Amino acid sequence: MSRKVSHWRLAAALAASVLALSACSGTAAKTTASAGPIGQADIDKAMTTPTTLTFWTWVPNIAQEVALFEKKYPAVKINVVNAGQGADQYTKLRTALKAGSGAPDLAQVEFQYIPTFSITKSLVDLRPYGADANKSKFVDWTWGQVTGPNGEIFAYPQDTGPMGMVYRADLFAKYKIDVPKTWDEFAAAARKLHAADGKVYLTDMAANETGAWHGLMWQAGSKPYTVNGTTVGLAVNDTASKKVADYWGGLAKEGVVATDPDFTDTWFQGLNSGKYAAWLTAAWGPVFLGGSAKSTAGKWKAAPLPQWDAGSNVSGNWGGSTTAVIKGTANPIAAAKFAEFLNSDPESAKMFNTVQNFFPATTALLADPSFAAQKSEFFGGQQLNQLFGQIGDTVNKGWQWPPFLDQSNQDWTETVGKALADKADAAGATDQWQQRVTSYAKDQGFTVNAG
Amino acid sequence: MTTTLTTPTTATPARRASRPRRPRSRRSNVLTLGMVAILVYFLFPLFWLVVAATKNTGDLFSTFGLWLGHDFSLVSNIRETFTHNHGEYARWMANTLVYATVSAVGASALATFAGYGFARYTFRGRGALLGLVLGTIMVPTTALAIPTYLLFSKAGLVNTPWAVILPSLVSPFGLFLMWVYARDAVSDSLLEAARIDGAGELAIFFRVVLRSLGPGFVTVLLFTLVATWNNYFLPLIMLNDPGYYPITVGLASWSAQAVGGSGANADLLACVVTGSLLSIIPLIAAFVLLQRYWQSGLSAGAVKE
Amino acid sequence: MTAKRAGYVFVAPFLVLFLLLFMFPLGYAAYLSLFKDQLVGGTVFAGLANYTRALSDPQLLQGAGRVGLFFLIQVPIMLLISLAAALAIDSGLLRAARVFRLGVFLPYAVPSVVAALMWGYLYGPSFGPLARFGFDPLTDTLMLPALGNIVTWEFAGYNMIILYAALRTVPAERYEAAAVDGAGPWRTAWSIKIPALRPALLLCLVFSVIGSFQLFAEPNLVQRLAPNVINAAYTPNLYAYSLAFTSQQVNYAAAVSFLLGLVILVVSYAVLYTANRSRR
Repeated sequence: MSRKVSHWRLAAALAASVLALSACSGTAAKTTASAGPIGQADIDKAMTTPTTLTFWTWVPNIAQEVALFEKKYPAVKINVVNAGQGADQYTKLRTALKAGSGAPDLAQVEFQYIPTFSITKSLVDLRPYGADANKSKFVDWTWGQVTGPNGEIFAYPQDTGPMGMVYRADLFAKYKIDVPKTWDEFAAAARKLHAADGKVYLTDMAANETGAWHGLMWQAGSKPYTVNGTTVGLAVNDTASKKVADYWGGLAKEGVVATDPDFTDTWFQGLNSGKYAAWLTAAWGPVFLGGSAKSTAGKWKAAPLPQWDAGSNVSGNWGGSTTAVIKGTANPIAAAKFAEFLNSDPESAKMFNTVQNFFPATTALLADPSFAAQKSEFFGGQQLNQLFGQIGDTVNKGWQWPPFLDQSNQDWTETVGKALADKADAAGATDQWQQRVTSYAKDQGFTVNAG
Repeated sequence: MTTTLTTPTTATPARRASRPRRPRSRRSNVLTLGMVAILVYFLFPLFWLVVAATKNTGDLFSTFGLWLGHDFSLVSNIRETFTHNHGEYARWMANTLVYATVSAVGASALATFAGYGFARYTFRGRGALLGLVLGTIMVPTTALAIPTYLLFSKAGLVNTPWAVILPSLVSPFGLFLMWVYARDAVSDSLLEAARIDGAGELAIFFRVVLRSLGPGFVTVLLFTLVATWNNYFLPLIMLNDPGYYPITVGLASWSAQAVGGSGANADLLACVVTGSLLSIIPLIAAFVLLQRYWQSGLSAGAVKE
Repeated sequence: MTAKRAGYVFVAPFLVLFLLLFMFPLGYAAYLSLFKDQLVGGTVFAGLANYTRALSDPQLLQGAGRVGLFFLIQVPIMLLISLAAALAIDSGLLRAARVFRLGVFLPYAVPSVVAALMWGYLYGPSFGPLARFGFDPLTDTLMLPALGNIVTWEFAGYNMIILYAALRTVPAERYEAAAVDGAGPWRTAWSIKIPALRPALLLCLVFSVIGSFQLFAEPNLVQRLAPNVINAAYTPNLYAYSLAFTSQQVNYAAAVSFLLGLVILVVSYAVLYTANRSRR
C-alpha cells in the first residue's frame, strides 16, 4: 500500500520539478530595446500601427484622459483595467512578473514603489524613447524620484501630495486655538483642546499610516533609505526619525492625540462628527474630505505643516503616482509614448486636476495663474491650489525609497505603530524597526550600511 | 425485503409513521425561549445588514446601527449598486452564478462517481488513494496559492473563469460524503441482481445506483455550491480583470475603493452594504427551497441501519 | 469490463483532476520550499534551511500557540452550541422547529467577506452598537475571542446540521425501548442521542481542528480595522500569506505552510486516537 503512494509522489515530484525548471527560466528579464535612442521614423511607425495596450490603474474616470490620447493616435487603443488599489495591484503585478505572463504593458506605480520594481528590473528605461526631453516639464523632486541610480528614467510623474495641515476653523474658534506654526505650538494646542473636551482630539496620528509618517520624517530631514544598486543604507532610526517618533509617542502617551487606524468606517465617522479637529494630510486631502465628510462643508481651512524650527518652511510628500512601462511589453514604443502623453500633455495634465482633483506634477500647470486662483467652497473659499503649490516648493529633495517598502511598512506598523497604539516608547521602537529591516535586507542579499 | 430496499425513499414515510417518539402534546416553552435566544444571536447581524442597506452613507455613520435612519434609501441604494460603473455588480452576480453552478454540478458529479467507485469496488491502492485525497483537506490553501498560480499561468489559464472553476471541481469533502453515503445507501443485493441480469458496470451505475444516491448528490451539490459561491481567496489571486470577479472579490474591491482613492467614492460604502445584502439572498433562497431534499437525503441513508 | 477495472474507471476522473490541481502544485510547493529566492542574487538551493528557520521562528511559534489556544476554547464552545441546538430541534419539544433549523444554519450561507463587514461594524469602537455599552473587542486582549465569536457565528449552524442529520439516523427501536422504560426527553437525549452522535461529533471535531489551525480569512479581513493588533504573523496561515505576498519570501512561505499542514495532521490523529482509546 505504501509503495503505491510513493510511486505517486515520485512521479508528481518529477513532473513538478520539470515544470518548475521551465517556470524559473521564464522569469529572467527579456532583453528589449537597446540603450540607444529610437529614431523618429520608428516612433511614427509604432504610433500608426494598430496596437492595443493594457494599462493597469486605479485612477477613477481615467477614460477621459485616455480619450485625448486615442484621439491623437487613433491606431493605438488603451485597455484600462482596474486590477486593485495600491498594494493589491502591486501584488498582482509582482506575481504576474514572476510567472512571466499576464503582466500589463503599463501600470500606475506610486513614487514610493518605483525602487521595488526597478530592483527586479521590471520597469523599462524610457530614455531611448525621448524621456530626457521632458525633464523640465516636471517638478524637480518628482523627476528625481523616477530616476534610477544610473540615470535611467523609470516612469512619468502624474500627481503629487505635498503635505499640509487642514483644520476645522469652527472648532479652533470654539476652543480658542490659534493655528500652530511650530510643532511645539501644535503640542500645546493638542493639550489645550483635549483638556477642554475629552471627546475631541487635535488630530489622529493613525498607528497604521505609514504614508503620512514617512512624509513627516521627510519633513524632519530624515534620510532613512539610501539606495545604490544592490547596496542600501538603512537608518530608519536616525536622529530626525527619533525626533518625530518621540514627539508623537509622547503626545499619544499623554492621550491628547488619537491613534485610530485611518481610512476605516470609524475614522470617517470621526471626521464627520468633529472628533478630529485637524488632519495632517497631502494636497489630495481636501478633495477627499469633500467626498467623505460632506456634512462638514465650509468649516475647514488649510495651512502649512507646523515646523520644527520657527521661521523655517519645509514639508514632505505623501502619495502621488506615476505611469511606468513594464518590462516584457511587446509594444515599448507605443507604451512609452502613451505614458509620456498622459502625464505631460498640458490638456491631459489639466484634466487630472479638474476631473480627478489630483495635485499636479507638471510645472506648467502649477505656474498657471487660473490654477492658483481656484477657490474651494468646502474650504470656505480658500485658494488651496496656491497654498499647496507653495508647499510643494518646500518639499525636501533627495529623499529615497527602499526596494522593499512593503516589508519596511509592515515592520513599522508592528514596531513604531504598535508603540503608538499601546502608548509605549515609540522612539525606542524605531530601533526595533531598524533591526528588522536590516536583517531582512541582509537576508535578501543586499549589502547593508546600517546608519 | 428486496422491495423495501429497492425503493428506499418511499420506505421512509412508512417507517416514519410507525415511529412513536413524537409526543406532540408536550412542547417545552422554556426550551423554545432558549432557542429563540440562540436564534437571535445568529440572526441579528443579518438584521443589521438589512437595516444598514436602507441607509445612505451619511446615515450609516450617524444613526444607531440596529434601527432605521432618517431616510429610507433602500430602493436608491439598490439602483446605485446595480448601475455603478456600468453595471459591474450585475456582471459579478452573473459570474458568481456561472462559477458556482458549474463547479457545484461538476464537483458533485465527480465526487459521486468516485465516491461510488471507492465504496463499492476493491482495487489495489484504494485505501492509500482515499487516505491521500482526504489528507489533502488538511493542507492550508495558502500553500497551494502561488504554485497553482504559477502552473496555471504556464497553461495560460490565469485571469480566465477556468482558473476559478477548475480547482473547485475537486472537492475532497464531497468525495468523503459520497463515499460514506454510497457505502450505506446502495445495497449489495441490488447490484447482484443487476449483474445477474447482465448489465455492464456503467449501465448499473446510471440506471440503478444513481437514483439511490440522489439525495446525497444534492447534499454535496449544496455544500460545494456554498463553498464556491463564497470563495474569496482563490479568485482574488487568480483574477486581474474586474470583469471576471465573483461577488466576494468585487465587494472587497469596492470596499477598498470606498476608503482609499480620492474620496469621491465614499458613497460606495452604501453600495458595499447593499451589495452584500443582495449577494446572500440567492444562496439563502436556495437553502430554503432545497431543504426538503437534503433533509430527506441525509435521513434516507439510515434505511440500511 | 471487470469489476476491478471498473473501480479505476469510476475514480479516474476525480483522481486525474486531483493530481493536476492538488498534487502538482503541492509538489511544486515542496520543491520551492527547498530553495531561496533573493531580491539580490536570484535563486539558490537552500536544502532544509527554510524548515530549520521556521522551527525557531518566534513569530511562527507565537502564531501557532495562538491558534492552539483558539482551538482549545472556541471549538468546545461552538460544538456545545451546535449540539444543544441539534438536540433541541430533534427533541420534538420545540414549536416551529424548522424555523430554528434554518435560522441557525443561515450564517453558513454568508461569505466571510460579508461576515467580516457585519461584525466589523458591530465591533466598531466608537459608533458600533456594542461600543455604546462600553465594550471594545478590537484590542489585544479581546481580539482572539472576538474572532472566535465570528467563527462560531459562521460555523455553528454547519456543525449543527451534521449532528442533526446524524440524529435522524438513530433507529426508532432505541427510542421505543427508552419510552417503554419511562425515559423522558432529557434522559433520552443524554443516554441515547449523545452516544449515538459520537462519530458525527468526532467528524466535526476533526474539521474544527483543520479550520482552527488554518485560521486565515477572518483575521485577514478584520486586520484593516485593527492593524496594530493583528500583525502579519497573527496566525501561521496569515504568516505564510504575508511572507509570500508582502515580503516576497515565497520559499519560506512554502516551508511554513508544510509545517502547518504537518501540525494539523498530527493534531487530527491525536484527536482521533484519543477518541478511539476512550471508547474502550
